[in-house]
Amino acid sequence: MAPPEDSSQPRLAAGCRWGGSEEDRVILFPEGAIKLQGTGRQVLERCDGQRTFGQLIAELQAEFGDADPAKIRADISQFLDQLRHKRIVDY
Amino acid sequence: MTIPNPLALIAEITHRCPLHCVYCSNPLELAATSSELSTNEWLDIFQQSGKLGMLHAHFTGGEPLARPDLTELIAGARAAGLYTNLITSGIGLAEARLHSLVDAGLDHIQLSFQDSREDAANWIAGAKAHAHKIELSRVIRRHKIAFTVNLVVHRQNIDHLDEMIAFIEQLAPERMEIAHTQYYGWALKNRTALLPTMAQLETATAAVAAAEKRLTGRIRVDFVVPDYYARFPKACMGGWGRRLMLINPAGKVLPCHAAEVIPGLEFENVRQQTLKFIWQESASFQRFRGEEWMPEPCRSCDQRTEDFGGCRCQALLLTGNASATDPACSLAPAHQIVEVALLEANSSTAVSHPVSAASFVQLQQRVGDLWSYRTNPE
Repeated sequence: MAPPEDSSQPRLAAGCRWGGSEEDRVILFPEGAIKLQGTGRQVLERCDGQRTFGQLIAELQAEFGDADPAKIRADISQFLDQLRHKRIVDY
Repeated sequence: MTIPNPLALIAEITHRCPLHCVYCSNPLELAATSSELSTNEWLDIFQQSGKLGMLHAHFTGGEPLARPDLTELIAGARAAGLYTNLITSGIGLAEARLHSLVDAGLDHIQLSFQDSREDAANWIAGAKAHAHKIELSRVIRRHKIAFTVNLVVHRQNIDHLDEMIAFIEQLAPERMEIAHTQYYGWALKNRTALLPTMAQLETATAAVAAAEKRLTGRIRVDFVVPDYYARFPKACMGGWGRRLMLINPAGKVLPCHAAEVIPGLEFENVRQQTLKFIWQESASFQRFRGEEWMPEPCRSCDQRTEDFGGCRCQALLLTGNASATDPACSLAPAHQIVEVALLEANSSTAVSHPVSAASFVQLQQRVGDLWSYRTNPE
């Protein structure tokens, strides 16, 4: 198991999809749901199977101009790696 | 106390089933076929469920495929905004019907296996189902749908858990659920033949841990531990009336699969009341909500917000008192009941061998001293 590479195209894993309401967006999976707010939601909404991990990082680095770009990359990489272990994200 | 929304609906759409599994969690008194809710009644339930804030509809039974209107029901649940999960033996499912279910919006399918070995699987199920399930797994993988394989483990099959995990692996699901038998319904009736020994449990736990490590990122492994061997009881259904509603084939609304065994509780029916009323105001859903009902040692125990006092049905089934601390808890006054069952289970390491027969009736006769097969409703 490895974290995503720049050319990876993260997407929701099979059996996972968005649900809930606009204010309360959740990702539904077979035995549960996770509520996503803030940055987590911004990351997952970009996991569309089209964007590469590199593009996704660049967009969010631009969005959070003040924060350390290397830290943004490391945090998102770890976040996606964890969700992949839970079979919520694939890349 | 404010009552949070229910999260999921367990839709027991029929109690009819082509299998006769000896550990079936259905009640011993099954709902009659003639009492089953109609298509429109279910469609209305899904609408109500979505409005109540529920996120998931788990279709189960019996065998949900025994209902010819299943595709329509799945479409109705999806239209109500629910995530749809079909929990099935696969009997009654071929490619064309699966295709229509997926088209209707089925999100996920959970297929149960009884064993990796055909003769043993058919012996547990009381039906020749194993070969069909394997074939169906291949068909499922050709469709764009998430796939979980469920395997119930117990005294008779746990010794070759490694082999069963390898068997599931080659079926290539996203997720495998290795679930120890829970002792309700038919499983409680057959407990002596199903309860594993401590040594079996330890070997199995190690096998699951190794599999989790090996399969990480490829197949998620979920493990349901046997509560008789646990220190604290399971948080049954995430707590009474906290997360889930179960509707039985006849429309009775229950906080869990087994709740009907509890005497003195009247369960409402969706034919008479709305789901919202039943969830928020019915006496049956209020009965064991919160902490008011708790006896000691639960009432002052730090674990009470984790396990909610354990399972009310298990308390009733083992002690005769639904308000008692779950005897599976090591702190329960009645824990001795579980200890006695474990002592008995561990006094012998004997397991039985699969028996085959030309007919189900003959099979019932041949295994009569080992266990009772689940029967079917009228």
